[in-house]
This record gives sequence, structure tokens and C-alpha cells, in this order.
Amino acid sequence: MELTFVDAIRQALIEEMRRDPAVFLMGEDIGVYGGAFKATAGLVDEFGPQRVIDTPLAESAIVGAAIGASYTGMRPVVEMQFMDFVACCFNQITNFAAKSHYRWNAPVPIVIRGPVGGGVHGGPFHSQNPEMYFVHTPGLKVVEPATPGDAFGLLLAAIRDNNPVLFLEHKFLYRRLKEDVAIDAPPIPLGRAKVARPGRDLSVITYGAMVQTALATADQLAARGIEVEVLDLRTLLPLDCDAIAATARKTSKVLILHEDTRTGGIAGEITAILQERCFDDLDGPILRLTSGDAPVPFSPPLEEAFLPSAQALANHIERLARF
Amino acid sequence: MPKARAARPRPAAAALARRNGQTAAAMVTDLRREKLRFDLRETRRDGKVVYEWEGRVTDPPPLRETAALSRDQALAIYRFMLMNRIMEQQLENLYKQGQVVGGVYFGLGQEGCSVASAFALGPDDWMAPMIRNQGSLLVRGFAPRDVMMQYMAKSGSPTRGRDGTSHFGDLEKRRMISPISMLGDLIPVMAGVCLGERMQGREVAAMTWIGDGGQSTGVFHEGVNFAAAQRLGLVLVIENNLWAYSTPLQRQVRITDLAVRAAGYGIPAFVVDGTDPLQVYEACRQAVARAHAGGGPTIIEAKLMRMKGHAIHDPASYVPPRLLEFWRRRDPIVRFEGYLTLKGWLGESERTRLRAEIEVEMAAERAAAESSPMPTPDDVLEGVYCERCHHPTPHFQGRPS
Ligand SMILES: Cc1ncc(C[n+]2csc(CCOP(=O)(O)OP(=O)(O)O)c2C)c(N)n1
Ligand SMILES: [Mg+2]
Repeated sequence: MELTFVDAIRQALIEEMRRDPAVFLMGEDIGVYGGAFKATAGLVDEFGPQRVIDTPLAESAIVGAAIGASYTGMRPVVEMQFMDFVACCFNQITNFAAKSHYRWNAPVPIVIRGPVGGGVHGGPFHSQNPEMYFVHTPGLKVVEPATPGDAFGLLLAAIRDNNPVLFLEHKFLYRRLKEDVAIDAPPIPLGRAKVARPGRDLSVITYGAMVQTALATADQLAARGIEVEVLDLRTLLPLDCDAIAATARKTSKVLILHEDTRTGGIAGEITAILQERCFDDLDGPILRLTSGDAPVPFSPPLEEAFLPSAQALANHIERLARF
Repeated sequence: MPKARAARPRPAAAALARRNGQTAAAMVTDLRREKLRFDLRETRRDGKVVYEWEGRVTDPPPLRETAALSRDQALAIYRFMLMNRIMEQQLENLYKQGQVVGGVYFGLGQEGCSVASAFALGPDDWMAPMIRNQGSLLVRGFAPRDVMMQYMAKSGSPTRGRDGTSHFGDLEKRRMISPISMLGDLIPVMAGVCLGERMQGREVAAMTWIGDGGQSTGVFHEGVNFAAAQRLGLVLVIENNLWAYSTPLQRQVRITDLAVRAAGYGIPAFVVDGTDPLQVYEACRQAVARAHAGGGPTIIEAKLMRMKGHAIHDPASYVPPRLLEFWRRRDPIVRFEGYLTLKGWLGESERTRLRAEIEVEMAAERAAAESSPMPTPDDVLEGVYCERCHHPTPHFQGRPS
């Protein structure tokens, strides 16, 4: 089935709700309106307002209620209208959900999904990449797909997972990507990265919308004789350390690319993993290309300067290739 | 001369109630026999800011009779209250002997509220205790040793030493959700429990407690409003014990009766004397029945007093002594004993026998707790995730809605 990124998400919700009566949805404006980005369009018509619940504007209540419902055996999937608002329910996620299984053996099978990321001039409160708040919280899983097919397969897996999963959807991709998605394919296991493009000269490790930037840049550089391998992390927690080490060993040069801001971004973590596991395999410094340490600015020329660009990526790659 | 405007007919109370949920007046049922106010005066003495209370220290009225409790039930509540108190005395001893890791929290003076509220729940209902509701744990079938081992951080504790105090739960048997430290967050979670149950075809009550301090949180509002909007069977007991750690009620809010908040959510509320287990039970019984009927949430404000410090380390020197004296005369166990004696349900010898029986039981519980080893660290990093070790399973009754 030919699906855009957002429709792949919608389709995954439909498939899971048809398959499992324990799955239900909660969020703001997800019912009759179908969600701010239409990820749940028409779902209230098929499944009814009991399973596609328009909630009050109250993120802590939404996530709290999801946690409570999950304790009774349900599998709630909640939408953050924008993932920036996940800050409002930080406590429910990091203190209630994340610690539940470790503390008292009570699993919390919930998914918190919604749009992240910049490039659409959303400004400081509709463009953020909040993944690292949660990557730093044991007990959570953090997933960010880069293609419609992965969005579909990973969301199936996230819903079936017994742990709280943050499912981050880059809104820049929602309608810009389209591909054939096998809707009868099995879920894609969480925690496994994917080589999105094989290459021998150096590795770009990235995730989310930056995968597309990396692939386009890799194509350009191939014409100039640099063969770039692109590793799409897909899941940030738990990280696929084996895949990270494998690509580093293969190419001996690593650049980490992310749209998230620099300090405390996943690049630092991956760098540490690489020097622990692949110190002897590296032929060059580990580089990182990220957004700068600032809020996401609103005005297009500011945002463009803020986000990692394809040009900057090409420059970094060429520099690394010379080692 | 301007024509006198004809008075517009006032909408009938029932219509108003329909439009507005219900009206504020109709919503709060006050079961108390004495309506108390505790206005503190902030003053300076010897250069220090202190609180004073100028009210009169009086004797309490008799308890408020309820037809809903049989003799056996009343005695069961009494026994749990006594267990609650004696268990906490043991906890204090354990602490003084250095056997407790961290602090101890007490529900002294609040036993009647913890016990009688939890007693109103049915076996299919859910509850989630706060730190002072150690009596509710006993009602729900946990043993004193469970509580003791939590405080002692033993491997045999319900959380195997991973958390302390009343931070434990049991999804399968006792339908109890573990609280977290952050006050207020349990409220939407318990609303969600009702939602999950409803989706499986059952209307249940989900009870939790919050303090006069915790009710100031934003998540309190979010949770109660969510429950109200969805008509979920949340039973929220606000234990207004006049203090949030060292901060008196009047520094938390501009109102005296927290129950009036219910009007803003379009839900009913009760005000009860929290040292009268009969009132607490009566209000909770009605709230639970309303939940079972799909009628939505209820707030029950229990007026009582935290009779010790915030935790064992806190001598509570900020509390005016006369205020404590006032409440000491309202010891829930003493009051309930008076009631049971008057009813002819509890004689002197029976009372002594019961107390001795519980003392023996508690000593055995304590010995069991002491004999549990400390946890070994081999699995300290395990169980962070549920990797198919549990199988969350819904139990749909009738057609999934
Ligand atoms: C959200 C939050 N903030 C602060 C604390 C620290 N704290 C624990 S108990 C407490 C006072 C609580 O007072 P109240 O809610 O009235 O309950 P009480 O102790 O009187 O039973 C405070 C400030 C907390 N647990 N949670
Ligand atoms: Mg208090």
C-alpha cells in the first residue's frame, strides 16, 4: 500500500486497533477532527468515541490515565499534539511510567506518540526534539523512524511492547515521504538500527529526518568517489550498540548527525560507545554535526542557519574522508 | 417613570443543576457534627515567626451513627485501626533501633480515615495509598511485615528492596497501585484505571488520597477534571490535616473547605470529620456506590490533624501546642471505642483481649520482617524493562465497547 509517513502511522494504528481490542487512543482533537496532523483521521468513525477519545487539554491527565488504563491490561496510545508539550507530563513519564516495572513489577504498555522536529518554521515551542530527556531515563524506550515503512513496522512493535515507548515522528516527513508499505509485514523489532545505505569510506550515524539529509548527501558524494554508509538508528533507547560498532569497524570513520541540539545530544553517547568498543578501529576523529545549543528560532533564515544543513554535512564528510 | 423590569423567572434548581453539572450548594454534603475552623495567627515571639491558635479546646461530640455498618464490620474497622497504630509503634521502635533505612511516616490520628475509607471498597475496586495510609494497606490484605520490610529495605519486601515506605502495589490480587513520591500524580492514574475497566465492561471505584498540600498541584486539577469529564469512578479522599510538612493550610489556599473545589468540576463532595470513622465510611460508601453506578467521581474532604511531625525526624515545633491538644481529644481510636462501648459491641475485656492479640501478632510480624535478609545486588540492573516477563491481559466482559 502506497503510504505517506503520516498515513503509515495512521495505518499502523488502524491495524493494531483491529487486531487487539485492548488498543485505544487518547489525545487532544484526535476524534472528530482526526488530529492536528490527521494521524487519526477517520478513526473515530471506525472505532467509536470510546476507543478514540478526545481528552481535556491536560497532558499529565492524558498520560496518567494511560498509565492507569495500562494497569488494567489495556494498551493505550496517546498523542501529543506536538511533542514539545511532552514537557507538561514529564513527571508521569519519567517517574510514574518509567520506574513502575523496576519498582513493583508492574509493566506499563503505553505509547506516547507525536510530531517532533524543525524545518517547518514552528518556532521554539513547536519544533523541538525532546528525545534526550527520555533517553536519559531507564525504563523508557525511545523510537524515531525515518521512513513510512519503518514508521509502520516500528509503531506496531511499540504498541505490542510491554514498556512505555516514546514514538517520535518528524513532522517534516509527514507528507514529504511516500513509499510502498507492506501492511501485512511483521513488526520491526525495537532496538535495531538499519543500514540505510551501505558504503565503505565512512559512516554517518543518524536518525529521523536527518536520515533523508544523509542519504541525499551520500548520493551526491558518491559521484565524487566517496562511498558513505548511512546507519539509521531507528531506536535511541535502547541503542543498537552492535550496529554502531559494526559500521565503525567497517569504515573506520564516523560522523554522527542529529537535528537535536549539541550538548547532551546522542552524539556524545555514541562517541563514548565508539571509543569504548572501537578505539583501535578508528582512522579519524569522531565528528558530530548537530543543531547549535539554542532554542529553535522561528524566522526561516534563522531556523535554516540553526539546523544542520546538507552543505555542512557534505563539508564534514569531505573533511573526515581526507583522514 | 421607567417601568419596573419584571423579574426574570429563575430557572428551576434542577435545570440549573443540569446545565452546570450541579450547583455548588447541592454538591457538598457536610456530615460533620462540629464545624470547625482553624485560623492560625502568624506572630512574632522572641524574634521568631510562630503560629498561634486561639480556638477553644473542647470535647468532641459523639460519633455520627450510620446504619450501613454491622457490628462485625464496625469491629473489623476498629481492629484495623488498632493494628495501624500498633504497627506504627513497632515502626518507631525499629527506627530507634537503627533497623529502618531512611525515615518513617506516621498516620497517627488519621487511622480512622485510612481504614474506614479503604473499608468501603469492594474486591473489584482499586486503590492507591499515600504515605500516611498505612491502615488502608492492612484493609487491602497486606501484612504488617510487608510494611515493615519496605521500611527496612529487606529482600522480602514487596518491592524486594527497590523502593521503600508504602511505595508498593499488587495488580493481580489486591488491585493496588503503587504511589510515587510526587504528590498528585496518582489522581489521573486512578482515573485511568476506571477508564480501562470501563472499556472492559466494568464500572469500578478507584480510591486514592491526597493531602491539603498535594491538592495544590496542577495534576490534581488535571486528574479530577479528567475523571469528571469522563465520568470515571474516582473516589478522592482529601485528608485535610491542616499541615503540609511545615506549611499551614492557610498558606496553601484561600478557602477553608477544600471540598468546595468539587463545584468547579461539576461533581459532588462530602465534608467529614476525619476522626470519625463512621462518617468517613458513610461518605466513601456513597462515593463507591456512585462509581459502581457509572455516576462519576466524588471528592471527600476529611478534616483531621497530623498528630506527629511530617516524618520521624520532624518534631513539628511549628504546630501550636493547643491545636494539638484540641485534636488529642479527638483521637479516632478513643472516639470509636466510646461508640462501640456505648453500642454494647465492645466490652472492657474484649478490648483488652483484642489489643493483646494484636500485640502478639505484631511481634510475630516484626520477627518475620527482621529475619528477611537484605537484598543481594546481583540483579540490581535487572527488571528495568518488561521483556515478556509479564503479560498484561484485559478481561473483557460482554462485547468490547
Ligand atoms: C509534587 C511534590 N512536591 C513536593 C513533595 C515533597 N513533600 C512530600 S510530603 C510534603 C507535604 C505534603 O503535605 P500534604 O499533602 O498535606 O500531606 P500530609 O503530609 O499532610 O499527609 C511535601 C512538600 C512531594 N512529595 N511531591
Ligand atoms: Mg497535610
